[in-house]
Amino acid sequence: MDMHPRALEQSNSQFGGPIPNESELTAGVRIEPGKSYGFFTDTTLCIGCKACEVACKEWNNLPADNLGLTGQSYDNTGALSANTWRHVNFIEKAGVRENDLAPFQSGWLMMSDVCKHCHNAPCLEACPTGALFKTEFDTVVVQQDICNGCGYCVPACPFGVVDLSDLDGKAHKCTLCYDRLKGGLEPACAKSCPTDSIQFGEIGELQQRARERVGELHRLGAEEAYLYGTPGAPGATGDLGHLNAFFLLTDRPETYNLPAAPTRASNRVVPSLFSGLAAVAGLALAAAAMFARR
Amino acid sequence: MYQGPTYYGRAQLKPSPFNNWVVGGYVFLAGLSGGAALISAIADAVRPIGAAGAVRRGRYLAMLAPLVGPLLLIEDLRTPSRFYNMLRVAKGTSPMSIGTWILMAFSAFAGLGAAAQFASDRLGWLWPRRAARATQVPAAVAGAGLATYTAGLFAATSTPLWAAAPQSLAVRFGASSVAAAGAALSLAERSARTRRALDAITVAALATELAATEASHRSYRRAGVDGALDGAWGQVEKIGATGLGAALPLGLLVASLALGRRAGRLSQAASLATLAGSALLRMSIMGAGDDSARRPEISLRFSQPDNLPRV
Repeated sequence: MDMHPRALEQSNSQFGGPIPNESELTAGVRIEPGKSYGFFTDTTLCIGCKACEVACKEWNNLPADNLGLTGQSYDNTGALSANTWRHVNFIEKAGVRENDLAPFQSGWLMMSDVCKHCHNAPCLEACPTGALFKTEFDTVVVQQDICNGCGYCVPACPFGVVDLSDLDGKAHKCTLCYDRLKGGLEPACAKSCPTDSIQFGEIGELQQRARERVGELHRLGAEEAYLYGTPGAPGATGDLGHLNAFFLLTDRPETYNLPAAPTRASNRVVPSLFSGLAAVAGLALAAAAMFARR
Repeated sequence: MYQGPTYYGRAQLKPSPFNNWVVGGYVFLAGLSGGAALISAIADAVRPIGAAGAVRRGRYLAMLAPLVGPLLLIEDLRTPSRFYNMLRVAKGTSPMSIGTWILMAFSAFAGLGAAAQFASDRLGWLWPRRAARATQVPAAVAGAGLATYTAGLFAATSTPLWAAAPQSLAVRFGASSVAAAGAALSLAERSARTRRALDAITVAALATELAATEASHRSYRRAGVDGALDGAWGQVEKIGATGLGAALPLGLLVASLALGRRAGRLSQAASLATLAGSALLRMSIMGAGDDSARRPEISLRFSQPDNLPRV
């Protein structure tokens, strides 16, 4: 990646304070309120180092979930939770022999999962207190001083991301480093990613970059590469809109524990309420007839 | 059934963190209270003198949700001291928010109605009776909402079993609520004629519930999530809620209505079974729904493109 000209201004190894608009130097994007930001996670570049998991836990002060071994490849984290906002999946594809593969390919898939920051986020729409909200950076965040721990956002999420914490009784999930964005810093996971598998940026630009990457992979012979969560692609189905954190995958979504066609839960409110009320109204008429009988 | 890959059989979704006994208990009481307000308002409108006892008991029974409901709901919050944050917004996309305001409105109207009933019972004044009559219509409307919004609350999630049949689930909950209220009022009814009317209402409601149950199970099969009912909660739903809690009392009530005056015991047994079935319906749907969210082969099957709503 080319060095940003502003990087030359920073010649000291110690800084007196934060660098203004540091994300310009680290991610090549200036963070401005009113624009949409997100992650493009290119799983073909992921090496499973879990630097994103560690950086997330460090910046956000999150405790560990599991100190044991799961026996499921190198995945000892298990799943996204109230305390784990980045989770690296490891999929060892059985029956794939190295000698049968094209150069630089392997039967080992890795993917850093995260909150998708859906355009029409079901967790946000379900929240009865308004604790979940859309920020000025088009990301979805839980306001910890509002959440009362009702837990309705947990089953609302079609990706199984949001979780209640037993420690403080509030819902937690990735904030896309809301505090860092406010300070002009790239989110911790993206900044720490050594292979740029996690790329942070403005959503339109990221989608363009992702489409070009898919084209490049197809040219190189990896024809199975596709995007998950961009407009019209799997993941961005059922009126969810696009996902602000989207992925480049090389196997079907379920392999990565992702739903092929998630839906927007709030679209079921009106049909459900209308049918229920119609049935009760019908029974009310029947009841009136029963009481009117001699 | 889903045959594709899963991620080490790990859950793809998170089940609801609700305590199913506490929240299921609330959903049952909300339905019972809403149904009671509805039936008592109709009885008062159609047969004001003959059914005065049922009207009075219905107004008191409707106080279950306002008195016990908030305690159950606050008990289930992980941060109960912040329960009042439910009242800082009103959101059409969130059935939990809609339900909060329905419960508030219902509590106000049902509370006024019960208070006026109490005043007229104890003091013999006439004006509270008119006040009770004025509040019973909005209480009945809010009661219809209270009896059904809980189904919308479950349907508007990503939990496969709840999301697979949004419409028939709401019909089941609404009909089960009316049946439970009819059964409860019938248990306490002394006039044989009013009891027959209440039992006939319960018959209609149970028949509606059973038809909606069949429609639900059809939707589950079509969406491929019927496997969620193979577990223990599924057996409770099939045998407890549907068999012993709806089909059996339906049969008993039809027999009791056919036999006429001599069949009081039959009607009582049917009423108790209906009430238990109505409670079991809510608990089993919640439990089986959580099962469906925990099992990736069900959630990944549900989120296949063939289950997308047709545009």
